[in-house]
Amino acid sequence: MMVSVCCSLWAQQTDTLVAAQVYSYKVLPVVRASEQVAFLAGQVRPSAQVSELLRRFTGVQVKDYGGVGGLKTINVRSLGSEHVGVFLDGIQIDNAQNMQVDLGRFSVDGLGAVSLYNAVKTQRLQTAKEYASGAAVHLVSEDPLLLVGDSAGKVRLRGGSFGTFNPSVQWDRRIGGVILRVGAEFLTSNGKYKYDYFGTPLTRENGDIRSLRLDTRLSGMLLGGKWRLMLYGYGSERGFPGPVIRRSEEFPFSAERQADQDVFAQGGWTKDWTDRYSTALKFKYANNYTHYNTHPEKNAMAMPYNLHYRQQSAYVSLAQSLGLSDPWSVDLSTDLQRNTLDSDVGQFVKPRRTTFTGALATLLTWERFRAAANIAYTGAWDTFDQRNAGGWSCEGGFRDAWMPSLSLFVRPASWLEIDAFAKRTYRLPSFNDLYYSLMGNSALRPESAAQLGADIRMSARAGAWDVEARLSPYYNNVNSKIVALPTSSQFRWTMLNIGMVDVTGLDAKVSLERGLGSAERRLALTLRYTLQQALDHTSPGSQTWGNQIPYIPLHSGGLDLAFQWEDWSITWDTTLTGERWSRTANIDTYRIAPWSLSDASLSRKVTLYGHAGRGMVPQLAVGLALNNIFNQSYQVVQGYPMPGFNAMLTVEYSW
Amino acid sequence: MLCGALFLGACQKIEQHQEPPKDNGLTGVMVNVDNFANSAQKIFVLNEGSMGSNSATLDFLRLPAGIYISDAFGKMNSSVGAGLGDVGNDIAVINNEVWIVVNNSGIVEVISAEDETEINVINVPTPRYIAYDANYAYVTSWAGAYATYEGWDLVDYSNVKGQVYRINLKTKQVEGTVEVGYQPEGIAYYGGKLYVANSGGLTLPPTYSYDNTVSIIDAASFKVTKTVEVQVNLKNAYADSKGNIYFTTLGNYWDVHSGLYMITAANPDSPSHVSDYATVSNICGDTVYCIGTETEFDWTGQVDHKYSAYTVKNGVKTPLTLNLNHATPYSIGVLNENVIFIGELGIYTYTDPEDKLEKIATDYYNPGSVTYYWHGNSVWSVQAGIMPGHFAIY
Repeated sequence: MMVSVCCSLWAQQTDTLVAAQVYSYKVLPVVRASEQVAFLAGQVRPSAQVSELLRRFTGVQVKDYGGVGGLKTINVRSLGSEHVGVFLDGIQIDNAQNMQVDLGRFSVDGLGAVSLYNAVKTQRLQTAKEYASGAAVHLVSEDPLLLVGDSAGKVRLRGGSFGTFNPSVQWDRRIGGVILRVGAEFLTSNGKYKYDYFGTPLTRENGDIRSLRLDTRLSGMLLGGKWRLMLYGYGSERGFPGPVIRRSEEFPFSAERQADQDVFAQGGWTKDWTDRYSTALKFKYANNYTHYNTHPEKNAMAMPYNLHYRQQSAYVSLAQSLGLSDPWSVDLSTDLQRNTLDSDVGQFVKPRRTTFTGALATLLTWERFRAAANIAYTGAWDTFDQRNAGGWSCEGGFRDAWMPSLSLFVRPASWLEIDAFAKRTYRLPSFNDLYYSLMGNSALRPESAAQLGADIRMSARAGAWDVEARLSPYYNNVNSKIVALPTSSQFRWTMLNIGMVDVTGLDAKVSLERGLGSAERRLALTLRYTLQQALDHTSPGSQTWGNQIPYIPLHSGGLDLAFQWEDWSITWDTTLTGERWSRTANIDTYRIAPWSLSDASLSRKVTLYGHAGRGMVPQLAVGLALNNIFNQSYQVVQGYPMPGFNAMLTVEYSW
Repeated sequence: MLCGALFLGACQKIEQHQEPPKDNGLTGVMVNVDNFANSAQKIFVLNEGSMGSNSATLDFLRLPAGIYISDAFGKMNSSVGAGLGDVGNDIAVINNEVWIVVNNSGIVEVISAEDETEINVINVPTPRYIAYDANYAYVTSWAGAYATYEGWDLVDYSNVKGQVYRINLKTKQVEGTVEVGYQPEGIAYYGGKLYVANSGGLTLPPTYSYDNTVSIIDAASFKVTKTVEVQVNLKNAYADSKGNIYFTTLGNYWDVHSGLYMITAANPDSPSHVSDYATVSNICGDTVYCIGTETEFDWTGQVDHKYSAYTVKNGVKTPLTLNLNHATPYSIGVLNENVIFIGELGIYTYTDPEDKLEKIATDYYNPGSVTYYWHGNSVWSVQAGIMPGHFAIY
């Protein structure tokens, strides 16, 4: 968490750097990332999960169930997490079962940048899926070509509150023309923290976690192109503390445990065949295993479930880009994916989905005027290899959608940039929406989101201060929203495409920065504000018509301060979340009071010149993060109290 | 005759008090009760609340004043910070007490029927439904022989049977449990016997199928004396004053409809099928009231709300005229044959994008409503809590 703010403030100009790939053809972004944190080579990484960085992005709301192991998904501009694509090096991290990605599981170790796009990212040689998300979070691995010398490494120890111990190592090595990076990270935490149980202080139990991440990245040149390969393994075992409800003292709140074993291999090969024609081939195979057990023998209140799931996904993408005449290019991207889900849930159909996604895109990028247009198509075929549930048919097993998008950019003056976009995207119903035992509806259609947005970016210099401001009005309409509705049985819901939400909002951000006599002495201040009016327009005349949808604050914002003096850094962040409702019925009973959260950090780096010899100069960094400094009692999701004051100490040695 | 889940409640005399009850100051919505023609003092409405959100609440309609009061438990028990709890599943008026089964809180909350203040809290794991005789309350519980569960192998699920907990009405202590079938739901008492409807609603391994049995317990020895096969996925159990025991089933949502079945106390071995369609039900006196959804096992999700309503007396079915246009019944409460209450969930009307027809759907997390029907026609409607699912009359 420490130093994340200075990263976001002082490294935004790397936007174009990240976009530049191997081809020589001129590339300028039409729409820049709405928010971005980029890490410069040799810079101390914020010791954080990706979710902690995203928390301070305008328009983003991290839905946090609390604790180190608690689920953390994101909403962007009131679009649910199902509409937010998460991409690692351009390849989607997907979850066909519930369409949600737990961003608390991803470490920033090994990443070069984390960025958020509301408009379609406009870059050559994208995968087709990159054109087909409502909003997108892009995690970009650090460019291995930045390795100086033959080897480099990093050892990090982190620990503190909740019995957290989180060491990691990373080792880079140049072997001939191949650069190898090996990383490992271990996390353990008891997840215990005090919270307010209806006026009585209690300790959160069964929120412990152990996890291990191992990854290997390889990159090099092959047949005149650049290739990358990543092998990733993640295993975890954790408890779910459950919602805070009235519960007899004789029984625990929860004894639920979940074990996950995720492995994936992904990679790609990018080549410029001529000055004008380039291709990118990408692939991924993922295998995710989950074991969920409610442990009724430890908790008589538990529904007795002991379930195993295995999701597999195979994916291949070919992107082709042709430069017609500088600066006009045309791209064609074609993706093919196969998803399977196996489970021992009673009467579970074992769904298989084959998805084709194609996108035709064009870019026109002069210095002062740029345009991007694309149309993407998704078609998904669902089949079952087992039909023991009865009642489900394969009819309606094909779903498809066309997704157009247009983005424009003008720079009327050197201090002013304006971009605007319009797009329509769809998200397919998840396997849970369609086939989950006792809950299925195989006739569901894709859920659609129409989005309009603009960014007005201004920069100025006022005395010693560099000032940057961004104003981003937007409108989103979510239609045919998939909604779970109850039936006569408490355990059987039905899913319908009936929801409609209109979202009108504004993101605003002002950053001020000044040097204090040298490049190593800086002061930066950021103010953020998000307005989100997200109204339920499902059913005229109903009690919820025109009401704010659950958990979305009308107003939210914050202030980030960063101060660097030579090797010392201090940061301060305050986030404010306005009043919200836990139900679409916006009545007092369901009102969630506003809350604020303040975090601070102090860090120091020590450059060990005496040990300099090869490549990078060795460096030692020590950081202390103080979170929720005022010990505020708050809940992001009702029933899931968040931790009070907590502290984490990080020591990192890199060479 | 006062009607509740069980007719026994009618036998209790109403005590005369000098001081006004403590809940006299509670205010609410005024409604017209001119035609109720009944000596009841209160009609309690238990709002289940959505699971995991601790939102069960208790409302009541005060008679003859005609005031509908929301969240009476919360208002009269501010010291119970956690409120009524998570998922109110059943309610019964026993003597001058209201016994409320709070499923996911693992408690049976006993309050004064007179002023809704807490008298006692009894711990029962995953409690479901309640019945009682002169000395005991009996509560079905899904948590049963879980102690035999060990390891993570599926075979260990083979004995996940439910229990009936016996609770002393005076001391409020649990005095024994008895194992019944899988996931027992409704329970009824008649003539020294308890009749338990086993649902098997979790359809767990090894069979992945619903239970279809009724467990008959001898109340005196508190042992299961007989197990009778009726139909899959049993739900409610009712006993009338003549020894007819009725059971509703929810069916399997595929090829077995929901329905109403009957056995007699004299000859429990031969159950008879009374009618299809009984997703919503209650008893008043000797009459069982049922409402069924015609399309309840249509998996396409195009919920077309057509209801068939009927009553059954002595096993004889009679159509019930109830104007349910634009209603989506979730529960039914009956004060007498002319005064009927329908509990509904939060309602959406929407235009189906496929066939452009106006349709109704309900949701499970916004407040529902209670509508009063006089001679089959709706008269007024009040906002209730989330999922008003159970009625009891005091």
